[in-house]
Amino acid sequence: MSNRIALLGQPNSGKSTIYNNLTGSRQHVGNWAGKTVEKNEGSYTYNGTKYAVTDLPGSYGLSGNSDEEIITTDFIKSGQSDLTVVLVDASQLERSMFMLAEFAALGQPAVLVLNMMDVAQNMGKKINAEALAKKLGIPVLPFNATDTKDYDKLKKLVAAELKTPHKLTVTPPESHHNIKADSQAKFEWVDALLSGVTQTETGVYKMSKFDRLMTRPVLGKIICIGVVLLAFLVAMLIMSPFMSLGQMIPQVLHDPVDKLLTGWNVHPWLTSVFSTMLPNVLFFVISMSSFVFGVNIVFGFLEEIGFLARAAYQFDGLLSKLGLQGKAICPMLMGFGCTIGGACGTRVMDNWGQRMLAMSIVWAIPCASIWSIIPVISGMFFTWWQTMLVCVGILLYVVITMIVVSKVFSKKLAPKETRSGMIMELPPYHKAHWKHIIKEAFFKAWDIFRRALGTVTLVSILFYVLSFSKDGDVDHSLLYRVGTFIEPVTRFFGMGWQTFMAFVSGAFAKEAVLGTLNAVFMGSNSLMEAAFFAKTAKADTAMLGSAMTQVIQPAEALAFMFATTFNIPCLMALSTTYKESHSLKWTAKVALFYICNALILSCIVYHIASLFM
Amino acid sequence: MKLTETTADTQGRIKTLGGDDHFMNRITAIGITEGTRFQTVRNDKNMPLLIYLRETLISLNRADAERIEVELQ
Repeated sequence: MSNRIALLGQPNSGKSTIYNNLTGSRQHVGNWAGKTVEKNEGSYTYNGTKYAVTDLPGSYGLSGNSDEEIITTDFIKSGQSDLTVVLVDASQLERSMFMLAEFAALGQPAVLVLNMMDVAQNMGKKINAEALAKKLGIPVLPFNATDTKDYDKLKKLVAAELKTPHKLTVTPPESHHNIKADSQAKFEWVDALLSGVTQTETGVYKMSKFDRLMTRPVLGKIICIGVVLLAFLVAMLIMSPFMSLGQMIPQVLHDPVDKLLTGWNVHPWLTSVFSTMLPNVLFFVISMSSFVFGVNIVFGFLEEIGFLARAAYQFDGLLSKLGLQGKAICPMLMGFGCTIGGACGTRVMDNWGQRMLAMSIVWAIPCASIWSIIPVISGMFFTWWQTMLVCVGILLYVVITMIVVSKVFSKKLAPKETRSGMIMELPPYHKAHWKHIIKEAFFKAWDIFRRALGTVTLVSILFYVLSFSKDGDVDHSLLYRVGTFIEPVTRFFGMGWQTFMAFVSGAFAKEAVLGTLNAVFMGSNSLMEAAFFAKTAKADTAMLGSAMTQVIQPAEALAFMFATTFNIPCLMALSTTYKESHSLKWTAKVALFYICNALILSCIVYHIASLFM
Repeated sequence: MKLTETTADTQGRIKTLGGDDHFMNRITAIGITEGTRFQTVRNDKNMPLLIYLRETLISLNRADAERIEVELQ
């Protein structure tokens, strides 16, 4: 006999908290066959028996035709699980029982869990679980997701039910072809079930003082932006110890590994792979996953307490113009810090297409690294007020890129009829479950770490081969040969081989841009060291500035800055987008768009600027 | 009258819902069905509507709210 259970519930029913607490670290994230919807599977052991748990995608119902609803319905019908645990929110019982009404028609064994009993009790709500169980014919378990004792009760109930399963004995709601009539019948079914079990409150709703502020049209938006900025700072704070540790890896490992391998007479080329490249790859991946960790803690917190729902309410109008919906606001603001964070933050969106669209729009937002290199380069060629103009120009083009990206991709990713505009509940403010938030953030970070290590290593080796030269001189590298060979083409786009190379390295990591410029203009470092030691080695910008201004024109510099800013964000953001979207095809499509966009922009900027400069 | 024409703190019942199947599915699954009692909580210009219904605070896109007819009580 197998022991497979599935968790079914609406968004905000506390499903993921229960799933995480049940399964702990024994989780696996994958894809539903042929779909881009995430599949979460895990397991737990109770009294020596192993139980497999599938966390079904959250949706409000089962009869719609979204991927999530089709997957869920098919899964339950197919009997791939032996027992479905249906979760409802006890504090909003009447509304959330709709899911059970949808489930009833499927005729599979189930138990009903009344989650958030604590909230319901605080509201003064009384629910007679036994009477409900008698009416339904399946066990009903009052539950509080923060109470560890309740999990034992749940596990015990599941074990017993798998031995002697119960199906609903109550007649399922009458089904109608007309959706309106069908839902009406389901809610009437729920009403009939709940009469005598509980009283649905009908009093006047009073908004809390804080919510009154949060929902004010202008002030609310200001509060939201402030909170997200603060959240970003906290995320940076959380990641910084991990970052510093990661940063030490290349420094600590370089010399001993170098010495050891040289002592073994290993070829110097191979030695530098192990002493320079791999420790830096490790550092890159650690910084990336520590950022994901920080962002997930902060976002997890903001989502759990109910803040994200308010922010979504505030910015829905603006974002729906881009084919997105309100929930995209936080990842977008996060993008100003780091595109990786922004891409991860799109997790809060429930529709895959809109999520992918949001990620592609987040790519247009210049991250903190770009904001740190643009003023430096601009300062070499322009006065301070011209530099300000460059920054304003970049910001303006951010808006244009967002609109263009939305125009190009929204037809496929978020066609008008599938757009989930905002029909969303604003859940009451909750206390955060820290243990759950940290656990989940850790798993996400670990997941990214594991998956990214391979991708980053592969691309690094590629870059290493391209930039390799026997004597360390840039002029003898493959990249130089390719660069100078295609220079007639890159010239057309406004960039000579040096700036073009820096542009290419910017697609690798934005921090590499200064190091690469240093290498190609000064010949001081090898290209590889420039790219990998970008964060640790300091480029002398004054010297670089005088060297650069002798070789290239301001028009080229301007074109280069725009091209670098609006190119694909960086290798790690790319790989995060791929991991988050589970779609190589779409990640590649969007990447191609950004590369073309950057080159065309560079071309236009160069040729226009040449007229004036 | 339309839901978008109600002012804050008025109570009433949902009278008729209009729109395609996709919209109907989403709106009824969250609990907005004909005959349901509701209270308008906030109705600000250029902002989604906030209504309270079946013990839940729901935020609704303005364009969507245009398609909901209500009667006041």
